[in-house]
Amino acid sequence: MSQDAKRTWSRRLLLASAAGLPILAAGADGRNISAELPWSPFAGDPPKPVDPLGWYFFTAGEAATVEAIVDRLIPADELSPGGKDCGCAVYIDRQLAGSYGKADRLYWKGPFLPGLPTQGYQGNMPPAARYRLALRALGEHVNTAYGKDFVRLTAGQQDAVLKGLDEGTITLRLAPGFSTKAFFEMLLQNTMEGFFADPLYGGNRNMAGWKMLGFPGTRYDYRDHIDRHNQPYPLGPVSIYSPMES
Amino acid sequence: MKGIIAAALLLIATPAIAASQVEEGRYQAVLGDCAGCHGKDLSGGIALETPFGRLVTPNITPDRQTGIGDYSPVDFRAAMKTGIARGKPLYPAMPYTAYARMPDRDVDALFAYLKTVRPVRHAVKVNQLRFPYSWRFLMRLWNLVFFHPGTPDPANHTAAWIRGEYLVNGPGHCGTCHTPKNMFGADIRPELGGALLQGWFAPDLSGDPRTGLRSWQAADVAGYLKTGRNGHSIASGPMAEAIEQSTSRMRDGDLAAIAAYLKSLPAPAGSGPRILPDVERMKRGASLYRVNCSACHGLDAKGEGPLVPPLTGNAVVRQDNADTLVRLVLAGSQGAGTRWAPTRPAMPSLAWRLNDQQVADVLSYVRGNWGNQAAPVAADTVGGIRAALRGGK
Repeated sequence: MSQDAKRTWSRRLLLASAAGLPILAAGADGRNISAELPWSPFAGDPPKPVDPLGWYFFTAGEAATVEAIVDRLIPADELSPGGKDCGCAVYIDRQLAGSYGKADRLYWKGPFLPGLPTQGYQGNMPPAARYRLALRALGEHVNTAYGKDFVRLTAGQQDAVLKGLDEGTITLRLAPGFSTKAFFEMLLQNTMEGFFADPLYGGNRNMAGWKMLGFPGTRYDYRDHIDRHNQPYPLGPVSIYSPMES
Repeated sequence: MKGIIAAALLLIATPAIAASQVEEGRYQAVLGDCAGCHGKDLSGGIALETPFGRLVTPNITPDRQTGIGDYSPVDFRAAMKTGIARGKPLYPAMPYTAYARMPDRDVDALFAYLKTVRPVRHAVKVNQLRFPYSWRFLMRLWNLVFFHPGTPDPANHTAAWIRGEYLVNGPGHCGTCHTPKNMFGADIRPELGGALLQGWFAPDLSGDPRTGLRSWQAADVAGYLKTGRNGHSIASGPMAEAIEQSTSRMRDGDLAAIAAYLKSLPAPAGSGPRILPDVERMKRGASLYRVNCSACHGLDAKGEGPLVPPLTGNAVVRQDNADTLVRLVLAGSQGAGTRWAPTRPAMPSLAWRLNDQQVADVLSYVRGNWGNQAAPVAADTVGGIRAALRGGK
């Protein structure tokens, strides 16, 4: 049977029937397809603002250390309040407790092989685990070097430690593929995010980061200003959940 | 011989007459917007929230058990024009008070058409009103007091006006939504002066320069009814439904007639400028408007052509009652879509972003700005409407 069927569908027959297809298709009817745009009342998928109180990921000790670090990375000065008062540690905590901490969107099955620096972290620890490991290692290092916790150091000593992490003069006992420098860069990156992200994520309190930059926030209509070249935008920032100038 | 020919002609002609009667009846169903309350398949079951409780619209398909399949033309005429359906009085949510104006010929045509729609077996419990309104026989008394159908004197009016007046107050039953009601649900003056119904405020259609249609040309009125929008406004809510199922399918001549009549309505006396909100409130409202509204409606509130309605000179903005506005801001809304303008532009919901005070402030600003001169909105009003809408209406 199969032998017969193959022979029956010869190359010539196939071509001939293919030639017939347009004729069949020409007989088909066109159709108008119309539908209504979907819509429902109260539609919207706004992000949920974080609860500003307490810690979701950090232990009390970790939280104190991270608050001290962000306050040195963004010290309070004439430009802005410090990183702690701006909520940068709260921002990092909520991120680590959420999908960023678990790196939900990434592939997390092996094999875990060393990659190029441009490929970023290639190991098997998501960010939350890396923070936990590195903060413990940092605590051990500081206690060995200074005999006390990071939060008890003077501002100058804290700066020296952070500088050491950044410049490679301090090497923490971390994990393969996760360098001390990589930890510092992650910390700095997340701190900047906490300083400039919308306040609903826990950082950038009172839009301090935006005010520092002169960034007007989540406005979307500048048509009244568009022709005023090289003039600063005169109105203060607005955020997703504070839809008017304060 | 002549008789035979005549009889043969009659035999041929009868189906043609019947067909044209059904076609005319289909148009009467468009004019009367039967589908608006009885549903696209006319099988009813749509709840009307009245101040007296809930009425659910009955099945008017020709199903014998649950519809009007065993009505006679006389039964149907009585229901449409006197509000008595096979001996039982109807509630005036069924606008027999308006349909009473329809000539028997048109009612019969409508009945002939209804006989041809697909019968749907759908039993409906119509009367879910609160006591004592649930006592149907009371409607006989209501009819005695409030039901006085009449036709205005056509003298000194154009044919278009006469037709328009008939369509608006007859089959179109515009007053069912747009005319304010007394505590018994009967029309009071000013006719077509605007009224609140099911959480929407049907705007004033009079010639009032602030709340009415004074700034619309007759062509604007007809265009709005045909397409669902014009440069002044975009229909949404119940009016969008009325336009989609009824007015957008009306003949152009009838729309012009309606426009001619509506544009003839005078401005009621005593309509003057209203108080403005205080300066601090206007400042807050300006800030809210700039951040939340201006990207679409424009800093000058002139809107964006046919897609975004202007807020200057917009009758919806200027109504004394701001319920529709509050609702639009909280829940958002989708505009009418007709075959002439199918895009259905939508207003997004801002309920998650603005609290009651902010909604009240921005609406007070909009209502008190650009010459609108409508009364400010209270935060409590917004809170009440938010609760009612969230309650699942």
